[in-house]
Order: sequence, then structure tokens, then C-alpha cells
Amino acid sequence: MAEPAKEVPKQDDEKLSPAELKKRAKAEKQARRAAQKESTGAPPGGPPTANGAPTGEAGSNQQSKQGDQKQKGQQQKQGGQDKTQHKRSGSQAQSQVLAHRRRPSQGGAALQAAVANSNVPKEPKKENKQVELFSHLYTQRRHTVEGVSKDVHPAVLALGFQMSSYELCGSSARCVGMLLAFKEAIQAYTTPLGTSLARHMTTHFLSPQIDFLKSCRPISESMGNAIRFLKKLIVEIDPSVEETEAKAFLCEQIDIFIRDRITVTDQAIASSARTQIKPNSVVLTYANSSLVSKTLLQAHADGIPFRVIVADSRPLYEGKNLAKTLMLAGLEVEYTPLSGIAHAVKDANLVLLGAHSMLSNGRLQSRVGTASVAMHAHQADVPVIVLCESVKFTGKVALDSIVLNEVAPSEELLLPQPASEASQQSAGEDKDEESSSSKVKQLGDWRDIKNLQILNLMYDITPAEYIRMVICEYGSLPPSSVPVVHRLANEGV
Amino acid sequence: MATPPAAAPRAPSSGAFDVAEAYTKLLAEDPDLTMPVAAIEALILGLANTPASTVSETLDLVSDLTARLKRSVANPISLSAGTDLFQQYLISIFQKPSAHGDFDQVRSHLVQNGRLFVERAKAARETIAGFGKHFIRDGNVVLTNGGSRVVGSLLRSAAESSNASGRGSIRFKVIYVVSGEDAEAQENIAALRERDIPVATIPPTAIAYCMDSVTQCFVGAEGVVENGGIVSRMGTYQMGMLAKATGKPFYVVSESHKFVRLYPLGQRDLGIEQNVVDFRTAKGKESEDAKEDEGVADMDGASAAGGKALSGVQEAVDYTPPDLISGIITESGVLLPSAVSEELIKIWF
Repeated sequence: MAEPAKEVPKQDDEKLSPAELKKRAKAEKQARRAAQKESTGAPPGGPPTANGAPTGEAGSNQQSKQGDQKQKGQQQKQGGQDKTQHKRSGSQAQSQVLAHRRRPSQGGAALQAAVANSNVPKEPKKENKQVELFSHLYTQRRHTVEGVSKDVHPAVLALGFQMSSYELCGSSARCVGMLLAFKEAIQAYTTPLGTSLARHMTTHFLSPQIDFLKSCRPISESMGNAIRFLKKLIVEIDPSVEETEAKAFLCEQIDIFIRDRITVTDQAIASSARTQIKPNSVVLTYANSSLVSKTLLQAHADGIPFRVIVADSRPLYEGKNLAKTLMLAGLEVEYTPLSGIAHAVKDANLVLLGAHSMLSNGRLQSRVGTASVAMHAHQADVPVIVLCESVKFTGKVALDSIVLNEVAPSEELLLPQPASEASQQSAGEDKDEESSSSKVKQLGDWRDIKNLQILNLMYDITPAEYIRMVICEYGSLPPSSVPVVHRLANEGV
Repeated sequence: MATPPAAAPRAPSSGAFDVAEAYTKLLAEDPDLTMPVAAIEALILGLANTPASTVSETLDLVSDLTARLKRSVANPISLSAGTDLFQQYLISIFQKPSAHGDFDQVRSHLVQNGRLFVERAKAARETIAGFGKHFIRDGNVVLTNGGSRVVGSLLRSAAESSNASGRGSIRFKVIYVVSGEDAEAQENIAALRERDIPVATIPPTAIAYCMDSVTQCFVGAEGVVENGGIVSRMGTYQMGMLAKATGKPFYVVSESHKFVRLYPLGQRDLGIEQNVVDFRTAKGKESEDAKEDEGVADMDGASAAGGKALSGVQEAVDYTPPDLISGIITESGVLLPSAVSEELIKIWF
């Protein structure tokens, strides 16, 4: 009778969170309606009075948190020891990560709090700060273990927080990380009595892990392909096979997948792309792709004299890492903001780009800003080459950056200065300056500024016409051949 | 040392067989033979002439012969389509489980079937003509740039057409772009005029001038590259550009054995050295020594230095990117440029 006892709290948990969500949605709707009334009814230029809402929401959040914790406490009493263990390790990982991450949003929260304190909140009113066109993309990124299913393995928990904090970034790195975490999780898995591994694992064990990872950050195409591969493997395991044997088989297959589809593939692509770098050429790249970095380093190691221009942009500044890596390897590097791209392409002979995924209409989904680099290069007749493992190919199709994308927290786009200034001022400066700064609204106060929304997209779509060549482990392809290779590599036809 | 290949089926050493010579001889003997097919035939002759008893030995031999063959010609693009195809074919038969039985049997089968392959390649031209002639309608004016056998046979077949009288039912005109002395073009022109098809010849400089009266262009190719672009005789690229600019369809006519695993990014990315742009001052060539350096690799014996400079533009090729091409007419159907890579993936994976 151990089974039902385990099931009940989990169901409870699941029931609660939708209910909570519904409540929150209702509150939001009310707030929006109130805001609409306000904006239509009130005379323009009235004092912005949105301050009440965030604190109110925070309050309710806290309440629900407390409620959750109480519930959890009860569950723990019921659930027994292994659960507390899970939780502890999870929260450890979380606190580690939070120290790195939360800065912008925390800064924002601090500012909000300061503003809320200085202005007396008048009425709870909240403007919708989500850009309507992209509203289907907004997700709350998880940074806490609150409400996480108890089945989530600690390794997966840690990985999830690494992803949500960008500590683990990049489509293939995340894919490898996920597979390694799953390997650990599979080792810790035991099949319950009365069912078989093949029937039970995918739905009852793997799904919570995947759902958790999704709640930390939307999963990438490569992860999706890897999950599909893993699920297929699990389903095809013969129920009569011993559990330990099956687990060993799965782990081995995961290792093979990582080796064949990512590690060795990366080397193959790098050495194939290397031949495109001609002596004394100038290679332009954008942001930081592990494949591009590998290619450039290999070309340099082979003694080809060439120069690199790294274009980069806010808010992640991934190009800095690439520039540093290349510089330390002894390459000649020029670092330029994305705004200087029109000039940078004039010097370039070749553009190498990494990919988040390659879509079936030959378009490239990659870090936001890539499309404009490719467009400028196309305009200047500089060949654009995309380096991409076939595990990132997808059957999906997109024409614009609206349908398939990821919206990152808007706080990331805020400039870091306001927060630090504020803290400095509060620390030592005289008071009148502080009051004046609270009067002049800055970008950091965007939640209080009417009609201002901040959109922080992660990816954009580069049209196939701008891409001269895609290099994958099957060789060099025109972008139009992406669906063929996708069928061959990911669907096993 | 002209070793008659058939006379000595098992020459003692591979040194005795000169693959390059066999290749040039084959090309000279049969004017209808294309370069990739001649290369395959030369390789098969090489295989027949050299003893090799294991799979890896055979593959080594073939890659050695291929390398020697490629070194012997200035422009190995077209030829490499054939050698790559042959190598891939070899690998695929050796991988088949049935191949493990009797190696000698596989080998002799291969050698015997070489002839068959050549016959098929020649028949492909007729099939292509069958597909291609439907692109030519009454009142059309076709622009082509001479020399290509497969375009010639396409136009001839359109001129003959299907009705019983022998005279063509399609009334079309042809504009031939002719540069210098081109025997093959002259032959094609004569053949068309014989069949009551009005033919005009223009120099390459007049293409843009004629473009408004043209309805479509047909060109041949030395090689069709992976992205669907073509490597073809010098001037094809500009014709493609002009056709695109005036919105005329630009068809490539090519056998599918000319599909080559090469992916050029631009004109200078073909992997061959062509002295087309040759800067000079009153004192002579600019950076004389540098030029010499580059030339050495592909000057093994075939062409003398003087002949090379002269043949610079005559025999040179250029690369036409796929976005200028409306369709590629092959024996397996009319393909979009993007389908070429699909076909190549099918062969290679």
C-alpha cells in the first residue's frame, strides 16, 4: 500500500498549482480591467499610480508561498525521509545559482520597493507589461524549488537552475547537460512493483524531469530531439529485460548519443568548416557559438593566418567570452557592438554563425541579432556559413520571429547603472540628490511608466536567402536541404 | 608507352598502367564521351590491369589512380564527379553482405559492367533530350552558348520532333553565343540549320543586346555542384546574370553523373588555378614569381607554359550560383537546383 500514499500528495500538489494560477489570473484580469477604466476615465497626465500593484502581488505571492510551505511541511511528514533529502540538495543548488543570477531582477525589485515606499500607494492598478504580439511566449522562469514535483532528481534540479541563470547556455551544451543529468536520474530510478520500465519510466519518471526543465527555461530543439530519441529507446526496451541491465543499456546509449551526435560531430564540423577559412582572411562572427569557437581555434592551431571580428550585443554579451578565448589563444580579435555591423562586414571575407536550430524551410534560428548580421553580409556579398549539428535540425517552420521564440525577463535589458547608483546614493550621498533621482523616472522604473513595455527576445529568424551554406556532420548543404538531413538524422528515415 | 589496356589484362605492376594516358585516349577515341564517364572507364581499366586481392587494396588502388588522374589535368572538377561516384559505388558494393562471398567475382562483375555504365551514360543524353524538348514551343527563341553536346542533342531532338514527316513541327529559332573557333558549336549549328532551324551566332559581348528577344536559355555544365549551382565554361555566369536581370528562364542541361561533391562559395573557391585575371605593366607580368609558384601544381606534363596562358580564357570555367538557375534538366527528371543536394545525399548516405 505504499503506492497510493505516494500518489496522493503529488496529486494534491498538482491540483493546487493550477488553482493558484487561476486565482492569480483572475486578480490580474481585474487589475487590467481597472487599469483600462482608469486610462479611459482619468484625464491624461494624471499621476502614475501603478505602484500598489506590484507590492500587492508580492504580498499575495508571499501568502501563497507560505501556504505552499505549510502544505509542504505536511507532505514531508507524510512523505518520509527521502523527500527531505531531495529538497535540501535542491535548495542548495538554488542558492548557489541565485547568487549569480538574480541581480537585475533583484535590483528592479529593490527599486520598486524604494519607489513604493516614497509614494504612498493609492489604488491597485496594473498596466499589462507584456507585449501583446508576443504574449504567447511569456513564461515565468523558475528560480526556486517551490512547487516542484518530488520526482525531480537533484541532478536535474541543479541543471534546471543552471539553465535559468544562463550558467549553462547554448543549445548543444544544454542538450549534453540534460542527457548527463538524465543519466544520473535513470541510475536512481527503480521500477515500482507491478509495472515495467518501458511502460512506467517515460510517463511517470521522465516527464516530471522534462516538465521541470521546461519550467526553468523553454527547451531547445536539440533537447527536444534528444528527448525523442530517449523516449523511443525506453519504449523499445523489452519488458522482460532486467532493470539494472536496461538502465545500463540506456546510460550507454545516452553516452553514444552524446558522442556521435555532438562531441564527434563538433570535431567533424570544425575540421570541415576550417577549410573555408583562407589564409589572410577576416572572419566575422556574432555572439558566441561553441562550434564557431572550435573552428576558429582549430584553424589557428593549423597555422592559418587570419583575423576575427566578434560582433556582440546586450544583454548577454556572449561575444566577450569568445573574444577572450580567441585572444588568449593568440588570435587577432576585433570586438565590435552589433550597431557597428555595417562597417564590420566591409572588412570581412567570411561570416561564421552558430545556430540555435535550423528550421525546415532553411531558415536559421539563432541569438537575436544574427539576422541583421546575415543581412548585412548578404548585402555586401560576403558568404554566410552556418555551423550546426544535425541534432539541432527541426521539422518546424517559421517565417518570422514571433511564432517560435523565447522571451527572457525584461529586467535583463535594463542598464545596470541605476541599481548601483541607487545603492551608492543611499549609502553615502546627500539626500536631495536621492529625492531628485526618485522623481526623474529611469528605465529601471519601466513598470511604473505608462505605455512602456520592454521586450527581450532571445532569438530571431534569418531568411534562407542570406545563408550561403550550412555545415553539418553530413557535409556542406544549401539551406534548402535541411529537411532532407533532418529526416535522415532525426527521424531515421 | 601506350599500353593497350585490353591486351594486358593483368599487368605486373600498377606503374605500367598510365591512367592519365588511358583517360585522354578514351576521350580522343570517342567524341561522345563526357569527362566523368571517361574517368570512370579509365579507373575500371586500371582496376582490370592491376591485381588487387582485398577490399582495402582495391580502394587504395582506386584512390591512388584517382589522385594521379586529377593531378594530370588542369581542371579536375568534371572528372572528379565520375571518380567520386565510382568510389562511392565501390564502397557500397563492398559493404553489401553478398560481397563477402567471392571477392574476385565482385571484381570481375565490376570490370564487365563498366561498359554497361558507359552505355547508360550515353543513353542518358537521349532521355534528357526527351525531357528537354518539351520546354521549347512554337515561336520560341532559344539562347545557348555552344559546345555542349547534351544541349546540342536536345535542340536537335526538338528540331526533329515527333511527327512522322521527319521535319520538325516546332518552329523555333536559336541564338548561339560563339567565342573564337569552336568546332563543336559549328557542328551543332550546321546540324540545326540542316533541319531548317534558323540559327544566329553572336559574340559574348552581344548577349545583353539580344536578351529581350530571347524566350529561354539552355546551357550545358561541366559539373553540377552541391548547392545546385554549376561549373561551366567561361561566360555562363554572365549569361545567367543577364537572364535573371531580364526575367528569362535559365535552364541547365546535364547528366546526373556530373553532380559533383564540391561546394564553391564563389568564383575563386573552385579549387583550381585559372590565370584569367593577369595583371601586367609595360615591364611584364606583375609578381612574376608568385604566378609561377601557383602554376606548378597543375602543369605536370599536359600543357606547356605558353599554351597554358593562351588557353587561359578559352578553357576556363566559371561558377553560376543556384539562384540564377530556373531548372536542371537531367535524365531523372527536371530538378530545381535545391534538389541536387538531395540527390547527392541519397548517393552518399
